[in-house]
Amino acid sequence: MPLTPYTLIDHTADLGIIIHGNDLVDLFQNAGEAVLDLMFQHKVLKKSTSMNISISGDDLEDLMVQWLGEILYLFEGERLVVTGIEIYPFTGFTLSAKLKTVPFEPESHNILREIKAVTYHQIEVTQRGDQWTARVIFDL
Amino acid sequence: MDIKFQKIDRYRWLIPKRGNMRVPGLVFSNDELMKTIQQDQSLAQVVNVATLPGIINYSLGMPDIHWGYGFPIGGVAAFDIEEGIVSPGGVGYDINCGCRLMSTSLKADEIKPFIKDLVLALYQNIPSGVGSRGVVCLSKQDETKVAVEGAAWAVKSGFGQLDDLERTEDRGTMEGADPSVLSDRAIKRGLDQLGTLGSGNHFLEIQEIDRIYDQEVARAFNLFEGYVTVFIHSGSRGFGHQICDDFLKEMNKHISTIGFQLPDRQLSYAGLQSDLGRRYLAAMSCAANYAWANRQILMYLARETIMKTLSLNPRDLGMALLYDVCHNIAKKEYHLVDNHERLLCVHRKGATRSLPPKHPFLPKTYHHWGQPVLIPGDMGTHSYVLAGTQGAMDQSFGSCCHGAGRVLSRSKAIKKAKGRAISRELEDKGIFVQSRDKRTLQEEMPEAYKDVSQVVEVVHHTDLARKVARLRPLGVIKG
Repeated sequence: MPLTPYTLIDHTADLGIIIHGNDLVDLFQNAGEAVLDLMFQHKVLKKSTSMNISISGDDLEDLMVQWLGEILYLFEGERLVVTGIEIYPFTGFTLSAKLKTVPFEPESHNILREIKAVTYHQIEVTQRGDQWTARVIFDL
Repeated sequence: MDIKFQKIDRYRWLIPKRGNMRVPGLVFSNDELMKTIQQDQSLAQVVNVATLPGIINYSLGMPDIHWGYGFPIGGVAAFDIEEGIVSPGGVGYDINCGCRLMSTSLKADEIKPFIKDLVLALYQNIPSGVGSRGVVCLSKQDETKVAVEGAAWAVKSGFGQLDDLERTEDRGTMEGADPSVLSDRAIKRGLDQLGTLGSGNHFLEIQEIDRIYDQEVARAFNLFEGYVTVFIHSGSRGFGHQICDDFLKEMNKHISTIGFQLPDRQLSYAGLQSDLGRRYLAAMSCAANYAWANRQILMYLARETIMKTLSLNPRDLGMALLYDVCHNIAKKEYHLVDNHERLLCVHRKGATRSLPPKHPFLPKTYHHWGQPVLIPGDMGTHSYVLAGTQGAMDQSFGSCCHGAGRVLSRSKAIKKAKGRAISRELEDKGIFVQSRDKRTLQEEMPEAYKDVSQVVEVVHHTDLARKVARLRPLGVIKG
C-alpha cells in the first residue's frame, strides 16, 4: 500500500503523480513522501541523522520542482536516502524542512525505480477550496 | 488539444501553421504508427515547438515520435543562429544519450553455447543500475579534462585506441565545452559515474547480424551475416541530468522576466547569442564529452570482459568500433535553407544525425557510404544499422529516428507483464537477459515499444537513411 495519498499519471515515456494536501505544508510533505515511496521499497530502520534545508523557487510550481529535485540530488549526489520529512509552515516561495537521512547502501536499500529528474512539463500547483493539488511528471 | 493534420503522401503528415505557430509541423510516419502517435500528446508537442523563436522550415517529428516533456521524443528543430534559441528541453536530461556499435570477428554460432556466461560476466564487470559507481573515480581536475576532451581523454587514459575517435561523431569531442560554467552539484555527480551504463532503457547487447540489406555498404561497415556485434546504449548519467536541471531553472526565470508565455515550462529557452544561451551550450558540450568518454570506457570494459570470458586474444576477438552517435543534442551546423547555406542550431531530441556520402565530417572509411546510423530496438527485437543520406540533409537537417519509441507507459507495461516471466519468454526466443530486477524487465518488455522495423521502414522509404543490416539480440544486460 502506498504510504501517502497520491495517484499515478500514465505518461508514455515517463511517470507522473497527482498529489493532494490539506494545506501547502501538507501538499509538499505528501509530494516528498510520494517520491520516497516510488523510489524505495522499505523503510530503513537504521540510525538516521537530521539535517535542515531551505529551498527557494520562483513560484509554487518552481518550488515543487526544486523541493523534489533536492530529494533526488541528496540521493544521487550525496548518496543519502531521505527517511523522514518535516516541513515547517511557510509563506511565499521558500520552504524550510528537517530531513532525516541514512547513507545509501546498495546491499540494504531496495530501490524500486530510479527517478532521474523532476520536470516542469505540465507542472501544476492549484488550490480549490481547502484542498491543494499538485501534478508532477518525472524523468525516469 | 485537438491537432489538425493532413496526410501529404504515404509517409508524411503536415500540421498546418495556425495560432502562434511560426512554421508548420511535419511528421514522418505511416498509417499504423500514426494511429499510436495520435494516442499521446506528441503532436501537440510538435505544435508547441513550432512556436519557438527563430525556428526554421518545420517542427519535425520522426516516425518513433512519442510524448516527451517540452519537446516530443523523436523531435527535430533547427533555429537561426542570430534570431533563434537553444532549449535544454530540446536536448533532454540525458545529454548525448547515444549508441555505440562494435563489429567482431566472432561467429554467432561459436559463442551461443557461452552466451549465459558471457552475459553474467558483462553484468558483473560493467556497473549498471541505480547508485552504481564507475570503474574510474575522477578527481575534480580529471573530471574537468573529461568535460573538455571527451572520448579523447578516455583513449589517452588507456581505454581504447586513437582510431576509435575517427569513428565517433565529432571525434568524441564537442568544441566549446567550458567547465567553469558548471555548478558544484554537476561536478560532484560526475565524479564517480564514468564507466557506468545507467538504468531504464540503457543497455549493452551481444547481437548476431541476421540480415544484410545492402551488401556493399555492409562490407564497408565490416558487417557480415552470422557474425557478432556489441551494442551500447548509454549517456552522460547524473552529470548531464544536473546540467539540464541547473539550466532549466535559470531559463525558466529568464523566460518569466522577459514576459514570454510558454505553452509548456519545459520549453524554456535562451537566445543563442545571449550569455545564458552560450553558457548552456558550453555546459551541454561538457556533458556531451562526458557521455562520449563514458561509452568509450564501456566499450573497453566490454572488450576486456569478452576476451577474458572466452579466453580470446584481441586478434581473435577482432572487436572494432563501427560508429558512435548521439541522439540527444543541440549542434551548430550548416544547412541549406532556400538554397542558401546558413548556420543553424539543430536540436535532436531522440533523433540521430544522418550524414550523406561525401560529407566532410565523415571519416575516410565511410566517405563513399554515408554515416552509420544506429537504431536500437528493444531487448526482444532487432536493432538496425542504416547509412546516412542526402534525403536527410534535404528534409530533416540531416536527422532521422533514434529507436523504437515507447507505446506503453511503464505502469501499463507492468500491468501487461503481470504473471508472466519476461526473462523466460525472452530465453525461449534465444535471448538471455540479465537485469537488476524484474520490474525493469517488465517496464522494458518488447510490447512496451513500437515495432522498430516499421519505424525503420518509414525512415528507409522517406530516404532519411538507408537500411544496411539487421542485428538480433543474443544477450542483454540492463541497468
